[in-house]
Amino acid sequence: MKEMVRYGVTLSLICGIAAASLAAVNLMTKSRIIAQAQAEEGTALKDVLPQATRFEPVKKDGETLYYKAFDAQGNWTAVAFTADQKGYSSVIQTMAGMSRDGVISAIKVLSQNETPGLGSGVTSPDFCGQFSGKAIDGLAEVSAITGATISSKAVIDSVKNKAQEIKELIRNEG
Amino acid sequence: MKKFFHEFLKGIFRENPTFVLALGLCPTLAVSTSLTNGLGMGVAATFVLLGSNVIISGMRNIIPGRIRIPCYIVVIATFVTLVEMTMKAYSPALDRALGIYVPLIVVNCIVLGRAEAYACKSSVTNSFFDGLGMGVGFTLALLLISGIREVSGAGTILGREIIKGFDPVRVISMPSGALLVIGLLLAFFNLIKRKK
Repeated sequence: MKEMVRYGVTLSLICGIAAASLAAVNLMTKSRIIAQAQAEEGTALKDVLPQATRFEPVKKDGETLYYKAFDAQGNWTAVAFTADQKGYSSVIQTMAGMSRDGVISAIKVLSQNETPGLGSGVTSPDFCGQFSGKAIDGLAEVSAITGATISSKAVIDSVKNKAQEIKELIRNEG
Repeated sequence: MKKFFHEFLKGIFRENPTFVLALGLCPTLAVSTSLTNGLGMGVAATFVLLGSNVIISGMRNIIPGRIRIPCYIVVIATFVTLVEMTMKAYSPALDRALGIYVPLIVVNCIVLGRAEAYACKSSVTNSFFDGLGMGVGFTLALLLISGIREVSGAGTILGREIIKGFDPVRVISMPSGALLVIGLLLAFFNLIKRKK
């Protein structure tokens, strides 16, 4: 019985110290982590919609559905959205810009952990550049990377499906 | 001083965690696809090893033997989470590249192995040099494997193309290639050891 109490106290003490130090570091890094994520999002938005000057997230239940992009005159011209799908060895997350009538302006792969030298080719300009200027139905023409059909298909399908979904969503909006 | 140096060197050669002890091969196989990943993983694991070795050695007289494993895991998990948060804040790209393998350092057998086999019965300074040596040994092993794999599997060094038009051996980048490279290196180091 006495042993059990000693074990309990020792373990709680260690856990308490661990929790305290984690809380301290969390407090120090939290704002930086959020800032990093926001900065990354900002550059990605600029990359897929270079003409837009202002972005406004459209949220539902606390999650960002898509971003409205406005030009210098303040007109809502395009949308940007993120799409993700499981590729060969990881979930590939892509950001895409699309005009309001459904033409993709550019895409950018935000995160992937595909096979280096094969699936990682989805980040290459040769592949991503093919998306530019294609309508949703035209995305089937994007040719997959040799030796990385699954990774390529994941990007194409996820962008296509999400684009369709967003297009439906914004159709009724002014 | 000579003794500390001995503790340090042991992790690099005589008891190299990857090539001699063959511990923690799972993350080694998974992240050794490029030099940057190998280095990032190595440094992260070294920091955790150092921290956990020192703390566990310092508390070796307080921790009751029967609950030592949960105590070790708490200490190790704390250091891993510290590394993860720091990495997220200062190097998000590396954090994404290493993905799930950073949190998995918690269950890396090298860390728990050193705690159980060494730190719990050695002095703090000895444990410090043991952790440092093991960490450096692990990092060097990762660099060797990931260097070979990046050059032959992707045709690049640190992401830069070396020879234009060189068609790399793609299979080396795949998990099967990792097993091949590690197997050949293990055989090579065993050969050297037997010759002595």
